[in-house]
Amino acid sequence: MVITPLRRKVLRDLARLWPQSLAIALVLAAGVATMILGNGAYSALSDTRARYYDTSRFADVFADVTRAPRALLDDVRAIDGVLAAEARIVKLGLLDLPEMVEPGTILLVSLPEGGGAGLNRLHLRQGRLPDPQSAREMVVSEGFATAHRLSPGATLTVVMNGQRRDLMITGIALSPEFIYALGPGEMMPDPRRFGIGWLPRESLAGAYDLEGAFSNLVLVLAPGAPIERVIADVDRLTAPYGGTGATARADLTSHAFLDAELKQLGAMVHVLPPIFLLVAAMLVNMTLSRLVTLEREQIGLFKAIGYAPRAIAQHYVEFVLTIAILGIAIGFAAGAWMGAGLARLYARFFSFPFLVFSNDPRIYALAALVTAGAAVTGALFAVRAVLALPPAVAMAPPAPAEYRQQGGTLWRRLGFRQTRIMTARHLMRWPMRTLSGILGVALSVAILVASLWSFGSIERMIDITFFRTERQDVQMVFGQPEPLRAVFAARQMPGVMVAEPFRAAAAQISHRNLLRKVTVIGRPAEPRLSRVLAPDLRPMDMPEAGLILSETLAQVLEVRPGDNVTVTFLDGARRSLTLPVSGVSVGYVGLGATMDIGALNRATGGGQMISGVNLLIDPAGLEEFFDAAAASPKTGFIAVMGLTVARFRATLAENITVMITVYVALAAIIAVGVIYNFSRISLSEQGRELASLRVLGFTRAEVAAILFSELAVIVLLAQPLGWAIGFGMGLAMAGAFSSDLYRVPFVIGPAVYATASLVVCTAAALSALAVRQRINRLDLIEVLKTRE
Amino acid sequence: MINEPDIVFRTKGLTKSYRSAAGEVQALRGVDFQAARGEFIVILGPSGSGKSTFLNIVGGLDTATSGEAWFKDHRLTALDARGLTQYRRDHVGFVFQFYNLVPSLTARENVALVTEIARNPMSPEAALALVGLTDRADHFPAQLSGGEQQRVAIARAIAKNPDVLLCDEPTGALDSATGIRVLEVLTEVNRRIGATTLVITHNAAIRDIADRVLRFADGRIVEETVNASRKAPADVSW
Ligand SMILES: Nc1ncnc2c1ncn2[C@@H]1O[C@H](COP(=O)(O)OP(=O)(O)OP(=O)(O)O)[C@@H](O)[C@H]1O
Ligand SMILES: [Mg+2]
Repeated sequence: MVITPLRRKVLRDLARLWPQSLAIALVLAAGVATMILGNGAYSALSDTRARYYDTSRFADVFADVTRAPRALLDDVRAIDGVLAAEARIVKLGLLDLPEMVEPGTILLVSLPEGGGAGLNRLHLRQGRLPDPQSAREMVVSEGFATAHRLSPGATLTVVMNGQRRDLMITGIALSPEFIYALGPGEMMPDPRRFGIGWLPRESLAGAYDLEGAFSNLVLVLAPGAPIERVIADVDRLTAPYGGTGATARADLTSHAFLDAELKQLGAMVHVLPPIFLLVAAMLVNMTLSRLVTLEREQIGLFKAIGYAPRAIAQHYVEFVLTIAILGIAIGFAAGAWMGAGLARLYARFFSFPFLVFSNDPRIYALAALVTAGAAVTGALFAVRAVLALPPAVAMAPPAPAEYRQQGGTLWRRLGFRQTRIMTARHLMRWPMRTLSGILGVALSVAILVASLWSFGSIERMIDITFFRTERQDVQMVFGQPEPLRAVFAARQMPGVMVAEPFRAAAAQISHRNLLRKVTVIGRPAEPRLSRVLAPDLRPMDMPEAGLILSETLAQVLEVRPGDNVTVTFLDGARRSLTLPVSGVSVGYVGLGATMDIGALNRATGGGQMISGVNLLIDPAGLEEFFDAAAASPKTGFIAVMGLTVARFRATLAENITVMITVYVALAAIIAVGVIYNFSRISLSEQGRELASLRVLGFTRAEVAAILFSELAVIVLLAQPLGWAIGFGMGLAMAGAFSSDLYRVPFVIGPAVYATASLVVCTAAALSALAVRQRINRLDLIEVLKTRE
Repeated sequence: MINEPDIVFRTKGLTKSYRSAAGEVQALRGVDFQAARGEFIVILGPSGSGKSTFLNIVGGLDTATSGEAWFKDHRLTALDARGLTQYRRDHVGFVFQFYNLVPSLTARENVALVTEIARNPMSPEAALALVGLTDRADHFPAQLSGGEQQRVAIARAIAKNPDVLLCDEPTGALDSATGIRVLEVLTEVNRRIGATTLVITHNAAIRDIADRVLRFADGRIVEETVNASRKAPADVSW
């Protein structure tokens, strides 16, 4: 490459304007990094999941039954579109671990058939699979093993169907079914209290009296098979055996949580990079416009001596591209680095045997291309006007900036000082630049508002769910429904102060052609522990007949109080009836429907049964209670609300620092980039005037205040705009994040706005200070010797 | 040390040297000078003789290398940057060749800029009336001719009722008719507010309007002429 004079000028300009160029490069880098991170993480997560599912022959359809004969499996296999099917035994067991006061839960799953050949194959990390003949051997999930420092050879005591059994751990494994291993009644995975154990079929069959029978079906479908029809067929076949309805893979907890994560990543990719690219384009435009104004006469000269406009434009584009390349390089590095960090985070939350973080060059190429495009667009808009000028006009000094008398008398009447009028007129003289500055700072505020609101929203979720709705200390869920008198037995257990029964019944609720599978909860007429809240947060009594639906479910089914819905219970009798919707309740987790426990039992026709009890427990008697509960054969699992909340909070706390750091850094990059460039441009335009004011006896502080008040106006006007944009972004994100799994309440308090503004104002103040040095160094005598 | 109440400026052995890569430049080589209240002094001299350097030091814009400069009982050569700023603000009015007006402020507002921070100012309107620009008060600098802009600069300089008015080639960028008009304004102002006025010029003809004429050469005052009678600017031939 020949170093032409114009090229040398590019390098000299870069050296001279390096702080401004760096600020722009950093904004570009943030755009590149978020694009790479978002796209990279998205494809890493979805590719890894797809590959893992594929290599382990992960099932497409899952179905639970109470007890079905193995002969039924042949009928299932015969369903059109079913490629393979397996019958499993899946049961919850209790864990009795010396290091834990409360009993943990272990999901016991029969091993895939034919060793490593079946469906939902295990990925062995250590050790070996259990001997199919042995009733004393088990493989456990890796997260659980790590949390308890278990390795092959260790023994674990499991309460199965009320019987304690010591099992030897022969190996540690992963399963595609439990990438995100959420225990029953939990909101966050807690590998300490929930694990998965795989045992030989016979071993489990013996423990749960399921010889020659199964409790769970997994199916792989032929490509293109109509899943809805297969599910309908499976439901028809399993209904007589207590089938509660088959579910597609998409509704599986583990899968759905991964989907939710993918959705959030997708939202990030669509929101953050465009913001950075827009801001960067505006900064390039601002900075280059000023540069071009200063170099107007040179441009005229170049044109006069025969340089084509293209060549001159190319010069400025090269200048901007150099900055863009720097930004892209920083962005590549930052994106790869943050991607590795995110992969580590995923490895903690999601149990994958491998992580495909492909570093796809196409993602990088796209990021580089889009970024360079944004920068060049900003540049071309800046040079367009000057290139159009005839050389003679360009070489003449520009006509002096025309100021208008706008509001002069008004300001004087308002008691505005002349320096304030200078500020106001200068801002209004360049409306596009002023608006760009305001928009840029506003976007930085908006990024913070749109990310910080989630913390308050989580607190609201916790408050509503655990302190106003589920107020019990412990929820004890029976292995199978028990007669109502089990409440009295529970009441007699040590430490129990209050016991409140509940009934859970799987059902399909439909309205017109809308249909959802939910668990209908039966509660006492006036529940005291596990309550339901009206939208105004007042507890609701159970209606005599009729259902209360959660807001989410009511929305999904498009019903309002007073409408009728059809409820089909999915247990043995499969009763179907029409019930009125009596009310709508708040709730953030899952789709909820509730009714009076008596009415529910009458509706299902199964007699006065309960599924479990909610308990208040005297803290002093807690340990004794847990021992008794673990020993009781009725206990299916025990959810301890305090631990669930603590785990939820702890998990969030781990991420909160990382998240806040990242978002504050991103917002600060924008704020600093915009404010620093804006003030440097403003200083370049007004340096002469400011020096003149110093000659007239204005102090350094007074002169700096003129420039700073310009920045203050930008920053202040940007706040409400940023709040509004952030509010809109947050609202859209809350909508995008919500699913049938959980709904994210959009709560945003003054603290969010205040924090966002504080961060941005601090960043602005720091960049103003950087310019302050230059104001102090203004050369007073120089301005007297030269004409502008 | 200064007890003669009429002495406004006094310098002794004032020197200024600039050190640069190319070597040392002696801009002032010992200037001894006094000026009395209300005096109108014209400073002449070849280019590079140190006129501006001298004016800038007594105006508190620049610092001397050695020697002393006094304004009344303030020892300028002992003041720090903050003290010099305060001195300029309270006592000095400047007029420069290139006006140095703020383009975003009207004539009136340019004057008000100074009256707002002055201890004992006249009104911007009165200052503009003194320079004969009452009817252009609401015009921006870009809407005024060079001479008018210079008169606004003078109005801005005198509006604070300064003790001294320092003018560095105030007519340098103007044609002769306009220059005369500006000089008339300066002498008029000097008479009205009694400010000690120092005017640097290349136009030797202007010497006749002064009370006293100093000639600089090679960083020193080489000649001092006291005019027995002052001419009106209009009577000066350019
Ligand atoms: N910042 C500086 N660095 C180096 N030398 C300087 C500087 N400022 C002035 N000088 C030198 O000091 C000397 C006096 O300069 P000064 O500006 O006082 O001259 P002047 O008499 O005002 O000339 P003119 O009539 O051309 O305005 C000159 O030789 C000049 O080159
Ligand atoms: Mg000079």
